[in-house]
Amino acid sequence: MIYDIKHLTIYEYGSSVTYSTCALRLLPRDEPGQIVYASRLDIEPSPMFTSERICFFGNRVTSITIGTAHRSLQVAARTSVEIDRAPPPPAAETPAWEDIREDTFAVASLDRESPAHFIHPSRFVPHYAPAAAYARESFPANTPVLEGAIDLMKRIHADFKYDPKATVVSTPLSEAFEKRHGVCQDFAHIMISGLRGIGLPAAYISGYIRTVPPPGQKRLEGADATHAWVSIWCGDEFGWIGLDPTNAILIGNDHIILAKGRDYADISPVAGIILGTREQDVIVRVDVVPRE
Amino acid sequence: MTAAPTLKPPLPGFSELDEVIARYRPLPGIPDEFIGPDGKPREAWLGFIAALTELGSDEIKRRFATADRHIRDTGVSYRAYGDTSERAWPLGHLPLLIEASDWRDIVAGVEQRAELLEEVLQDIYGPGRLIADGSLPATAVAGCPDYLQPLAGLLPPDRKYLHFYAVDLGRGPGGKWWVLGDRTQAPSGAGYALANRLVLSRTFPQLYRDMNVERLAPFFDAYRAGLTALSQHSDPRICLLTPGPYNETYFEQAYLARYLGLLLVEGGDLTVKDGMVHVRTIAGLKEADVLLRRIDSDYADPLELNARSRLGVPGLLEVIRENGVALANALGSGVVETPVMMSFMPKLSRRVLNQELLLPNIATWWCGQRAEREAVLAKLDTMSVAGAFGNAITDDTPRYQSLLGASLTPGEQTRLRAGIANRGIDYIGQEIVNLSTTPVWIGGHLVPRPFVLRVFAARTPDGWKVMPGGFCRTSDRADARAVVMGNGVESADVWVLGEKPAELVTLLPADEAVRVRRIIGSLPSRAADNLFWFGRYLERCEATLRLVRSLAGRLIDASTKNPEAASLVERLETLLEHWGAVPVATRAKGTALAAIALFSEKESASAFSLVEDARRAASFIRERLSSDTWRLIQDLYDLLHRDMQKPLTEADVADRAEAGLRTLSAISGLCQENMNRGAGWHMLDMGRRIERAINTCHFAREFAQRDGSADGLSVLLELVDSQITYRSRYLVGLALAAVRDMVVLDSFNPRSVAFQIERLEEHLNDLPPLKEDGMPEEPRRLIIKLAASMATSNASDLDNKAILAFERTLLALAEAISARYFLQGPNVARAEKATGLA
Repeated sequence: MIYDIKHLTIYEYGSSVTYSTCALRLLPRDEPGQIVYASRLDIEPSPMFTSERICFFGNRVTSITIGTAHRSLQVAARTSVEIDRAPPPPAAETPAWEDIREDTFAVASLDRESPAHFIHPSRFVPHYAPAAAYARESFPANTPVLEGAIDLMKRIHADFKYDPKATVVSTPLSEAFEKRHGVCQDFAHIMISGLRGIGLPAAYISGYIRTVPPPGQKRLEGADATHAWVSIWCGDEFGWIGLDPTNAILIGNDHIILAKGRDYADISPVAGIILGTREQDVIVRVDVVPRE
Repeated sequence: MTAAPTLKPPLPGFSELDEVIARYRPLPGIPDEFIGPDGKPREAWLGFIAALTELGSDEIKRRFATADRHIRDTGVSYRAYGDTSERAWPLGHLPLLIEASDWRDIVAGVEQRAELLEEVLQDIYGPGRLIADGSLPATAVAGCPDYLQPLAGLLPPDRKYLHFYAVDLGRGPGGKWWVLGDRTQAPSGAGYALANRLVLSRTFPQLYRDMNVERLAPFFDAYRAGLTALSQHSDPRICLLTPGPYNETYFEQAYLARYLGLLLVEGGDLTVKDGMVHVRTIAGLKEADVLLRRIDSDYADPLELNARSRLGVPGLLEVIRENGVALANALGSGVVETPVMMSFMPKLSRRVLNQELLLPNIATWWCGQRAEREAVLAKLDTMSVAGAFGNAITDDTPRYQSLLGASLTPGEQTRLRAGIANRGIDYIGQEIVNLSTTPVWIGGHLVPRPFVLRVFAARTPDGWKVMPGGFCRTSDRADARAVVMGNGVESADVWVLGEKPAELVTLLPADEAVRVRRIIGSLPSRAADNLFWFGRYLERCEATLRLVRSLAGRLIDASTKNPEAASLVERLETLLEHWGAVPVATRAKGTALAAIALFSEKESASAFSLVEDARRAASFIRERLSSDTWRLIQDLYDLLHRDMQKPLTEADVADRAEAGLRTLSAISGLCQENMNRGAGWHMLDMGRRIERAINTCHFAREFAQRDGSADGLSVLLELVDSQITYRSRYLVGLALAAVRDMVVLDSFNPRSVAFQIERLEEHLNDLPPLKEDGMPEEPRRLIIKLAASMATSNASDLDNKAILAFERTLLALAEAISARYFLQGPNVARAEKATGLA
């Protein structure tokens, strides 16, 4: 399936901003089962400097600096991408979760894909014992790791209420967990916290899902903005496998990967420093249209 | 007295020393520095204690009191986390003595370990060979708080990570020194060691010479040379990047900056432009070549690292990528100080250096490895357990705190075991070693106390150099194992005893390397701001004191029922109320009101509050003030810090105000006579001048009115300290025009408004312009206007309206000075973070 994606971010500032420098993570890259045909950024006002690099976790980062006074900043990312993923392995065939844990402890690589980076607490996912205890129930002794993870994903979907008004980016994980509500970002962080809490490596993925469902199917949650989900390491043989706790499904051809990191802090789509004002409004619009 | 080794054994009848030794009881089963394993005192200690005993107890008391006063006077201090004020430095009165042969072992071991840690760091952020071959587990590295992924592959400009290294040591039962922990992020303590040395060498000058104590200065000389060598420039601008005055060890950072001649900067003083780091100074942006870093790596760049950091410099990583600045230590160096690393060091030493560790590590097992985890669980009762990454190991244990397995309740042990079984990677087990004790002086006696010795090494152009001395912390409890700074912990100077007399060296570089210059560097805008306000607060405090003194003087008259005096008392009281020195509509009158104006901690313009403000501003620029100035501020603070409940007489109040004014004029004198005429002095003096000009205008409007009395004029002359000048010039008594002229327009009177304006104009002329376009900047424009209207006014037209106009222009000038010098450039507004919400 080929998708045309338009991701628009508009900042409106309370007063004139004299200088801003931002890191944008808005352009996807090739992955297994994902080919990026074309992508471009249109930025208004146009930046004084632009540079692109690949960050540690393999994401494309565009750094921009705007030196002229402006009251709003508009960033439009347009991407065409083809998705054709291999189906996930049968969950029952994945290794027992205890073996995955011991393998992660002993891994001998610090490459970007290494599970070593994804087992420790991170900025948005601190140690949080209640989430670990919650996750533990999905992992009786010798459960295949993917079976346990799918069960955990389904429980989160069942126990937590999707409520876009309940939380903001800075809401701590503990609050969303206690109140059993939130959005895709909260569910992903909670699931990651639970998995890491019992010694399993889990990553945070940001991306998109198709806006318009195929005929006769329900529209997926999180389609009008960037989406977020979880990827869990299932050993050398099976590698990383994506799970979407917001929709209780495994990652397939409706998901487009934008960036991977330990949590939201590693891969926020727009992050930076502005000078001149405190007040700002953000408007984000995402369209993911499958080509006929 | 002669050198220690020639000391004779105690003579018969000389029982004091015998008694001191006899009463000193090392802890059972614990090695001790004073009393050797054979039960006899060690020679060096014996010499020291004998000399001490010879002084006699009165002299000892006197010397220790002098040492304490010296610490208080020079303001040596630290701050515990969460403290709002600084604490006086707890320095023990006895040094830790280390003999030459012991020291040689320590030096060799510390140099070896510094080299090992450097190699390990280069591998972690570089090729990762030690990771790939299993010498260093990836999961252990990735969990270190200072392992920062964005730094992978980012080589420091000189390819080195460590430039300054500290290691905590303790002496084990066999007499060998053991490594308890490493410090590689931004090691602290070397500056305190210097401060301790200054105090102890003055407390025991004779002993210090006779025992051939190794000097510290050559080490710091070499350290500075190493920092200089980090830049291509022959005369680089080296900045000490501090987290700011609220950091625990800010005093030390300011002290080191001053001692080493570095520019003390905060993140907010720095900005990135054209691929370089610049310091914001009153003369515009100036390149910074080397940053001696005292902020943690994670806080160094909010753009690429911790976005919440307010301490760092946005864009710093990009500059490092372009080799635009050198950092010491390099970002990410803290990885190897993480507790988990201890468990791999013996193996890494063999693998990397092909050597055994010269100083053994406390044996450490990382529970991320199956065999090690099982060993720790099996022997939990004989071990201590700690967080592998400095993490808290139970809900109510602080971070970086270890627990003794044997001291846990069965319930606690079960929970700990479950934690280790679940996420073993978060725990290490450590062998328990009994470390030696050293004598400290408590209540007139020697008692043994556990200690930790921190030793420092610097990378210099000639390789690693170890500081011959160190920073020693002694515990207040006989059984304490973990020694951290905090309640009841003391520090001690460390004397490394040489075999021959130490050469006299100070921090003087060789002649040919020095370029003579008269004004150093550029003043950072933030320091300029604090100096300016330091000056203003001192002057405002002086005004309060003068008001109080005048009031106290009139109170004595008023009691004689002189109606004129009574009305003046009332006006002075009202003025103090408007001034902010006493509460609005206070019921207090007379002496009670004067006491509030002097001592109140609540009123913003009481003399005490203003001294506090001045002291706070001074604490931010401590490296720029002489220790004498600091001492005088401390005196003033003590003078005005008192119990409000105690009754005072008019005379007491007048005396106190008088004493305060004397101290203030001593501070003025020091600044005037001893401060280098650089930009810093200009800022401080401008602060005083502008405040004095504003206050004088204010007082003139209050007391020199057309319908006012001669008494009012005399109060005014008192407030501006011009009675004598007036009387010597006019023999006719007080006349309104003559007084106004003297107070406002007379540029020969050093207290007049006109005099202040002339000085302000000179200052502004001497300060560097931002642009070379020849256009006057705003402060210059205002001062020219003020000077012109002063020069063209005459006393007979000078009414309150005209004085008020001067006062307003002066206030505008003060704002223009802040805008130009403290907040210059478009990029200085506070940075706010923008985050995309998705």
